[in-house]
This record gives sequence, C-alpha cells and structure tokens, in this order.
Amino acid sequence: MPDETRFQRVLFVLRRDWQLYLMLAPTVIWLLLFLYKPMYGLQIAFKDYSIFRGIAASPWVGLEHFHTLFGSDQFVRAVKNTVIISAFSLLFGFPVPILLALMFNEILHKTFKKTAQTIVYLPHFISSVIIAGIVITAFSPSVGIINYLISWLGFEPIYFLTKPEWFRPIFIGTGIWQEAGFSSIVYLAAIAGVSPTLYESAVVDGASRWQMMWKITLPSIMTTIIIMLIIRIGNLLEVSFEMIILLYQPATFETADVVNTWIYRQGLQGGQYDLAAAAGLFNAVVAFVLVIAANSLSKRYSRTSLW
Amino acid sequence: MSGVILDKVVKRYGAVEVVHAIDLTVEPQEFVVLVGPSGCGKSTTLRMIAGLEEISDGTVEIDGRVVNRVAPKDRDVAMVFQNYALYPHLNVADNIAFGLRIRRTPKAEVLASIEEVAGILGLTEYLDRRPADLSGGQRQRVAMGRAIVRHPKVFLFDEPLSNLDAKLRTQMRAEIKRLHKRLGVTSVYVTHDQVEAMTLADRIVVMQDGHIEQIGTPMDLFLNPVNTFVAGFIGSPPMNQIEAIVEGGADAPRATFAGQSIALPKLDELSSRVGEKVTIGIRPEHAKIEPAGADAISVELDLVETLGSEALLHTTLAGNPFIIKAETGGDVEHLNQVTQFWAGPETIKVFDGKTGRAFGHPATSYQGGS
Repeated sequence: MPDETRFQRVLFVLRRDWQLYLMLAPTVIWLLLFLYKPMYGLQIAFKDYSIFRGIAASPWVGLEHFHTLFGSDQFVRAVKNTVIISAFSLLFGFPVPILLALMFNEILHKTFKKTAQTIVYLPHFISSVIIAGIVITAFSPSVGIINYLISWLGFEPIYFLTKPEWFRPIFIGTGIWQEAGFSSIVYLAAIAGVSPTLYESAVVDGASRWQMMWKITLPSIMTTIIIMLIIRIGNLLEVSFEMIILLYQPATFETADVVNTWIYRQGLQGGQYDLAAAAGLFNAVVAFVLVIAANSLSKRYSRTSLW
Repeated sequence: MSGVILDKVVKRYGAVEVVHAIDLTVEPQEFVVLVGPSGCGKSTTLRMIAGLEEISDGTVEIDGRVVNRVAPKDRDVAMVFQNYALYPHLNVADNIAFGLRIRRTPKAEVLASIEEVAGILGLTEYLDRRPADLSGGQRQRVAMGRAIVRHPKVFLFDEPLSNLDAKLRTQMRAEIKRLHKRLGVTSVYVTHDQVEAMTLADRIVVMQDGHIEQIGTPMDLFLNPVNTFVAGFIGSPPMNQIEAIVEGGADAPRATFAGQSIALPKLDELSSRVGEKVTIGIRPEHAKIEPAGADAISVELDLVETLGSEALLHTTLAGNPFIIKAETGGDVEHLNQVTQFWAGPETIKVFDGKTGRAFGHPATSYQGGS
C-alpha cells in the first residue's frame, strides 16, 4: 500500500504476529528490568555518591573515581591478575571441551561412552562451595591427597592455597575440571550435526579415523568453535568471582585478587559504591570492546560472526 | 576392466533379513541400475559393494577378488552420494583432490588431476568456490569429480540426482551417460526413478523387498516384464492391469472382464487355464484409439492430460483406472470423444492371477533372487 504510514505498517505486523510478540515479551521485560534499568545507576561512577542523598542528588565529580582507580596499586594489580587468569583460562580451558567432544565422538562402546560423559559432566552440577571444599581438602597440607602423595614420594608438604604462585594453576585447573565436560556438550551437538555421508565418503576415499577427525570433524564444527570463542572473549574479564572468593586469602591476594573481587571488597564491604561502579564500568567497556574486536576479526578471517 | 559379482549376498540387521541371497553379475564397463521402491534393499546392496555395510552372507567380488573382508579404501571403488557429501569447508579443487591427498599422491600429480577432471566436468572456473556458492548441478558435478579423479575400477552412484529439480536431473542424466561412454568404467547406479533407470542403464535390476525381481535391458523389462510388479514399476505411465477370466482354447484365447472380451496372444500355458483368473497387462502406448473395430473395449473417459505431441487419457475400465497414451496430432478436441480402445493380442501381457508371474515369458530374463 503506497500511502501507508510507517506506524500503520508496524501496527499491521503487530496484529498479524501478535502471538510471536507475546512470546517475546517476557524476555524483553527481563532485559529492560534487570539489564537496562540498572544502567541508570551507572552514573554514580561519575558522582560522589551517598546512599543518604540518593543517585540524583549526589554531586557530579567527573572522572575522579577513574583517576583514583588507576592510581591505586591494588586495582592495577587486580586488572593484571584478571588479564593473566583470563588469558591462561582461555589458553588452557578453551581447547579442553573441544578435545573432550572429539574424544567422546570416537568412543564406539555405548556404555563406556555414557559412563565417561556422566563422570565429566558431574562437577558442573556440584555447587561451587562444595567444589571449593573438595579443592581445599585435596590440597590440604595435613589431610590432602596431593600432599599425601608428595610426602609418600619423600618431599616436604606444600601449603598450596597460601602460596601465591600456586593459586592460578589451582584455580584454572579447578575451572577446567568443573566446566570442561559440560561445555563439551555444545561441541558434541555440533558434531552430531555433521552429515554421516561426509565420513562415509572419506572412508571410501581411504581416510583413517585420525584424518577424519582433523579433516572433517574439526573443520565442520569450526563455526561453533569460533562463536564460542567470541562469547568466551566477551566474558574474558568475568573471572569466576565466587570461586576466587572461596579459594583466596590475604596471603594469595598478590596473584588471586581480580577486578570483581576488588569491586566486592570496595563496594559491598568498604561501602565505596561509586568507586566500585567506576571499576565495574571499566570492566564492562573492556568486555564490550573485546567482543566487538573478536567478532570483527572472526568475520574478516573466517566468514563466521555473531552479527 | 573390472566387473562386480554378487553371489548369494545376504544382509541382516539382527534377526531381520533385508537382502535375501541375491545373485548379480555386472560385466566390465557395464552400467547397471538397481531400481525399486523405498526399502527394497537397493541402497543396502550398493553399500555392501562399497564396503560401508557388512555382508551377512554370500560374497562380493570386484575385479576377480572377494572383497568381503577388504576395507572400502582398498576396494578401489568411488561413490557418489545423494546429498553430494562435499566438504563445506573446502573449495571445489580441494574437494576433488581430497581422496588423492589422503593417499599422499604427489602434489604435481594432484594438480594435474584436478585440472583434468575440472576440464571434463566444466568446473575449471569454479575451482576456488566453496560448495555453498554452487548450484545443485555444479555440486553434483564436483561430487562426480571426486569420484572420477581417483580412476577407480568401479563407480557406485547412490541416487545422485534425487536432490535436483526435474530440468537439472535430465541434464545431469545425459552428462552421466556421456561420462560413462567416455571413461568406460563399470558402474552400479541406484535409483527409485524408473525413467532414470531406463535412460541410463545397459541393464536394469528391479528389486522388491530384498529380492531381485528381474534383470534385463531397459527394452526387455519394458516389453517382457516377468511379473505384475515389474510391469507396474517400469514404464511411465506404468502398464495397465485388469483382472479377467481366460476363455476359448489354445487357438483363440480370450479374456473376459466386466461383460467385455479381448483377444489374448496364443500362449501354450493358457490352454490349461481356461476358466481361471488372470491379470492382463496393456501398456498405455499399446492401447490404440483407432481403428477400433469389432474387438474394441469400452471405457469411460475421466480426463485428458495434454503433454504436447501426446496426451494421456485417464479412463475407467471395469471400475479400475486405465490410461491410454494417444497422439494429439496438434489437436486434443477429438480425444475428448474417446469411448473405446483396441489392443493387438501380441502387445498384451498375461499374468497368473494368483502369483502374478508372466505367461510365456522368454527364458532369458532373471526369475527372482530366491
């Protein structure tokens, strides 16, 4: 209809597909209430905020909190730790679910496959508090199995969780143990989508299982891998906050204190909401830039992107 | 050149037998088409030849060697799949070269082979494209390129044209035929489309429920179907089948149905069947609307389907559909007046009313697989 206004067109589409929009409504409401409405509070990063004055009445202070942040050795250390822990988690943690999925795909014995999958999925369903308890117990200098083995081999027990140099490997290893199995489900689903005739064709061409894995399975799930990598990069600075809180102690702050734990201590424990909001905003902006960059790189080099 | 021999080949899945002791000899350089309805065992048979399915019993021989325990890669066969089986992450050149690279063929040889095959199949300008950027016909050509690049002893085709539209299918059919003429490689082709079978095959193998019903040249199957199943499967439209009673003696046998009568061919077997039920088969092409004469059979015309130079007259005879294929002569008006047809006794096939087996069938055709 040539003389139809834009508003009339929108109204027509809304009327025609109202069931679809109704189904979409809960998600939109959730996004607005829990992700967009709180953004109003972001302004306290630029204000001298007081809970008694409220957000609107608190005076503006410009970038003062950001100057304070970057002048603080503790915050700079937290950023450095965040980047190091995230980078190593990505480096060691990201490939493990892919390898697990490839290995599960090669297991032909159904019972063995199901048992192995259940065992590696299980830690994901255990509360972080219990996982932390298991880790603390396992590395305990008095009753831990690791130190028992070390003593059995004739060495002195190590106080792992009080030594800064051991915190990162323990934390990253725990993360892999807890999540790698469950994360492999995405890749297994992608592998299930690979056409079986590709393998049959390769078998007739003379490919071995190993060649099929590298030349068919892996390239076929590359789109999924790249999308997961972009999402992972977007969450790069979101280091598992509660696990660090559960595992770290002042003796290991040097390597364990990350931006989120720093925000928690300053904001909730120290009552410096404005400074914590500035740190949180910094975290979010960096994450946003990382996602945009990863997506653009992926689009340019692999024809795969989130948007 | 290599042939393929299937000797009493059986396929079982657990306790269920899906292919029942079939025998088949594919001569070197021959193009054999396995045809039949879904679930008849044709693809399973092809996959057993390829080595993608275990053979439960019997033997498969390729080039004089029993290959039951030989891995697919060592059978020297190449297979073209229904959904092309192209690697989406590789371009056309790499897809064609996949099999050669797996076998560690020297680089120069691989490049020369890609060039040669691309030339044969008209793919030279598409070598850098990925499968997603190709049309259905081009993808099918790449799939064939992958097969021919290895110079195998036997080509196996598993419904390769099923995913193409009608026009492209006709085009590709001709290309496959041309390719077979050029390369002369023994080929086994599976399809459920009898037109594909008729146009491509040197010999057709008609299968049903895991049995071979008949093996023969396309014309042999068309003119001398061994039973009512083959008669109904081969030909487009298929042979009309009417239940009737045999009358008259060996000299002048006739079939009566719904108060009408038609002369049958003089077959020795009919002399002892007087009064018994038979099925008579008349091809739509053999039912003539003129000259009708005294032996004409009355029909009720339902509709006329115009195909151009020909038309299909959908009629009803004794309560059953009966199709007549007639020349239009550029005008279909006169066909709307058709009320009867005539068929020469020599064109009529007579089948046993109980078993469906053809009477007076030439002994040259295969009489079932079990």
